[in-house]
Amino acid sequence: MMDPALLLLYVLVFPGLLFLVGYGFLLQFVDRKLAARMQARVGPPLLQPFADFVKMLAKETITPTGVKRADFDWAPLLAFAAVATAFMYVPVIGLSPFAFQGDLILVLYLLTVPSIVLFLLGWLSRNIFATLGGVRAITQLFIYEVPFFLALLAPAIMAGSWSISVIVAWQASHPWFALLQPIGFVVALIGLQAKLERTPFDIPEAETEIVAGPWTELTGRRLALMHLTMDIALVAGSALVAALFLGGPLLPWTIEPAWLAGLAGFGLFLAKTLAILLVLTSLRMAMGRVRIDQLNDFGWKYLASAAILQVFVVLAMNAWWAP
Amino acid sequence: MPEIVVPIGPHHPALKEPVNFKVIADGELIVRLELDISYNHRGIEKAAESRDFIKVVPLLERVCGICSHSHTTTFVKGIEEAMKLTIPKRAQYLRTVVAELERMHSHLLWLGVAAHEIGFNTLFMWTWRDREAVQDSLEELTGNRVNYGINEVGGVRRDISDREAVRVLDRLPLLEDRIAKYREMVAHEPTTLARFRGVGRLTRTEALSYGTVGPTARASGVEYDIRRDDPYLAYEEMPWEIVTDTHGDVFGRTLVRIGELLESLKIVRYGLENMPGGPVKVPAPRGGPRAEILSRYEAPRGELAHFMRTNNTDKVERLDIRTPTLANWTSVAVSLVGQNLADIPVVVAAIDPCLSCTSRVTIVDREERETKTLTWEELRDHGKRFYREKRGV
Amino acid sequence: MSEGNVVLEMLRNLARKPATVLYPKEKLPVPEAFRGRIAIRDENCIGCTKCAIICPTECIDMVASEREVEVKGGKKIVRRKKPVVHLFACIRCGLCEEYCPTDPKAIYLTTEPSGSGTDKDVVVQ
Repeated sequence: MMDPALLLLYVLVFPGLLFLVGYGFLLQFVDRKLAARMQARVGPPLLQPFADFVKMLAKETITPTGVKRADFDWAPLLAFAAVATAFMYVPVIGLSPFAFQGDLILVLYLLTVPSIVLFLLGWLSRNIFATLGGVRAITQLFIYEVPFFLALLAPAIMAGSWSISVIVAWQASHPWFALLQPIGFVVALIGLQAKLERTPFDIPEAETEIVAGPWTELTGRRLALMHLTMDIALVAGSALVAALFLGGPLLPWTIEPAWLAGLAGFGLFLAKTLAILLVLTSLRMAMGRVRIDQLNDFGWKYLASAAILQVFVVLAMNAWWAP
Repeated sequence: MPEIVVPIGPHHPALKEPVNFKVIADGELIVRLELDISYNHRGIEKAAESRDFIKVVPLLERVCGICSHSHTTTFVKGIEEAMKLTIPKRAQYLRTVVAELERMHSHLLWLGVAAHEIGFNTLFMWTWRDREAVQDSLEELTGNRVNYGINEVGGVRRDISDREAVRVLDRLPLLEDRIAKYREMVAHEPTTLARFRGVGRLTRTEALSYGTVGPTARASGVEYDIRRDDPYLAYEEMPWEIVTDTHGDVFGRTLVRIGELLESLKIVRYGLENMPGGPVKVPAPRGGPRAEILSRYEAPRGELAHFMRTNNTDKVERLDIRTPTLANWTSVAVSLVGQNLADIPVVVAAIDPCLSCTSRVTIVDREERETKTLTWEELRDHGKRFYREKRGV
Repeated sequence: MSEGNVVLEMLRNLARKPATVLYPKEKLPVPEAFRGRIAIRDENCIGCTKCAIICPTECIDMVASEREVEVKGGKKIVRRKKPVVHLFACIRCGLCEEYCPTDPKAIYLTTEPSGSGTDKDVVVQ
C-alpha cells in the first residue's frame, strides 16, 4: 500500500482530480479540433474548453419556479463525483493502487450515474422538453447497457478476474483483448459512444427536436459542472476501454529505471486513449442521429446479440484451453 | 404517458423562422397538430399598393431572402404582360440563369439544413461550403449574394461580360462533381436512410388533394412543373428534364431536390454558353393599363403565384402573393399524425418551409370559437378602436 | 456501403487546409459588380433630387447647399440642394446611381462593405 501522502497526491493531483479535469479539457479540444478539420473548418484553439468552462461558471444560475434549488445543485455534483471516483480504479501509470476484486463492477455502475442524474434533472425541471429528454436518456440507458456490460464482461471471464488492474496485467503477457475479442471491442466502442450521448446516440440531447432535453434548464455553474462531468466521462470511458481491450499502460517488457517505466506507461495511456478518441470522433462526425425506436431495434437485434455471441465464444475458448 | 402538449415554436432550435406547432403527443407518438403561421406577417401586400413599379421591386425582393429573385421575376413578368411589353432575348436568358442559380443555392441550403435536422452536421458543413461557389457566382453576375436587384420592369438592370460568364462556367464542373457525390452519400448513408425513409409519406392522391406543390408534390409522383406546363422566360429553349420520384417520403423529396440541382446546373451552363446578344432592357411605360394578371413561377419551393390588378396608374391596385410554402403546410399537418416526435423537424424541413413568404394573419375569435378573415375596413375600425381603448389615442 | 464515402472524405479533409477564409488576415476578392457602401461625389452633383425621389427606402434627404455648377452644354447654374444619405437605412439597391444624370456619377455605390455601427443617424454626404 502506498504511503498516505503519496496516495493523497494520486487522488487529488495526478492522476487524480486535477489531471482528470485537465485531460478532459485536452480531449475535448482534440475532439472538437479533429471534428472541425474533418468538416473543412478551422476549429477552436487549445484553451477553448477551459475558456468555455470558466465562462459558464461566471454566468447567472437560473432556477425555474417550483423547482427545489438544492436538488438542482447536488445532482450535477453527484454525477461529477461518481465519474471522478470511477476513474480512480482505472490504471493510468501502472496499476491502480485502489484495485480490488470487483472494481470493474463498481466502475461500471459508477459510470451509469450521469445518465440517471440526467433523467432526474429532466424529471425535476418541470419542463416538457426536459422530461422528454430525461425519459429518452433512461430508455437509451436500458438499451445500450446490456451489450456494453456483456462486452466488458468477456475480458473479465478470459482473464479470470473482476479487477481491472488484473485484467491489464494479464494482457502484458498475452495478446490484447482487442485482437482476441474483436466483436466485443466493437460493441464496447459503440456502447461507449452511446454512454457519452454522442452522435449517432445523442438522442436525449437532440437539439433540433427537444431543444436541449434534460440540459434545458441547466444554467451557469450547474451547466459547467455537468458539461465537465461528460468530459471526464469521456476520459474515464476511453481509459476503461483502453485498459480492458488495449492493454492499458503496461508494456509487454520491463524497462529498468522505475520512473522510466512509469513515464512509458503514461505515454502509452495517452496514446491509447487518444486513439480511441479518434475512432469516437470519426463515428460522431460520420453519421446523423437515429430515433429512439430505431436505436431500440438496433440495440437489441444487433448489439445485444453480438455481445452475447462474444461471451459464448469466450466461454468456449476458455473451455477449450482449460486453465 | 398521458397526452402532453409539446410546443414546437415559436422559438425552437429546429425552426429557422417563427411558427407555432402545438403538438399533442402520447409519449413519442403524435396524435394531433395545430398550426399557427402568423408570426412573420409584415404587411408587404399592402405596402406594395403605395409604391410605383420601380420602387416596388426592391420591396418584393425582400419578401424572402432565399427566393427573392422568384418574387421579383413573377411580379415583373406579370406587369410586363399587363403592359404587353416584350423584353429582349438576352434579358430572358439572364433572368433564367439567375433564377436557376438561385434554385441551386436554395437546394444546397436545404440539403445542409435537412442534414442538420437529423444531427448530421458534417454534411451540413460540406454542402454549405459548396454553396459558396454558387453565391460567389451570383455576386459576380448581379452584385450581391442575396437580394440580387437585377430585375426591373422591361428587362434586367445589369449586363454581364464574357469574362464574368467564363468565371461562373469554370466553377460548374467541381459543383457537378460534389452534387453527384452528395447524391451517393444520401442514398447510402445508413442513418440518413433510417431517418428519411418512410417518414412523412404522402401518396399521389393525397398530394393532389391537399394541394402540395413543388418538390414535395413531385416526390409523390405528381409530374407538374410550371417551367414546363406554363412556360415563361427562356425555359422552352433549354434542354432540361422534370425530376420526379415515387417514394413520396422525405427520402423522395431529397432525391428530387438533388436531381433538380443537377438539372439547374445544366440550364445555367446552357444559358451562359448560348447567351444571345443584344440589349438587356427596353424602356417601359410608367403606368400599366387596366388588367388582372395571374403570374406563375416555379420557385425553388414550388408554384409561386402573384395575382395583380392594375388600374391605369403607376402602382398596383391589389397584389396577392400565394407562396408555395402556404400550399404545403396542410401536408405537414396531415403526414405528421402517427409519426414520432423526432420526425417533426425532418418532415417540416422536407417541405423547405419559408415562413417569411407564408405568413398570413387569421383572426381567432375566442368567445365565438370561430376563425375568419377581416376586410380592410373592418381591420381599420379594429385598429382605431384598439388604440382608442388601450392607448387613449 | 457509402458510409465509407463519408469517412474517406472526412479523412481527406484532415489533410487539406480548411475551407475557411481567415478574415481579416486573408481577404476574398470582391467582384467589381459588388454593390457596397454608398458614397457621394459632391463636386458633380447638380441637385436634381432624382436620387431622393427614386430611393425605395426614402433614405436620401436633400439639404440646402448652394453652389455654382456647370451642366452639360457649358452653362453655369446655381444648384440649391445636395443629397445626404442615412447610411444604415440604405439597402444598396443602386437605383440612385442608375438614375443620377451626371457623369461621373455624383452618387454611387463603392465596393467597400457598408460596415455596421450603433448610431442610426450616421449620414454620408
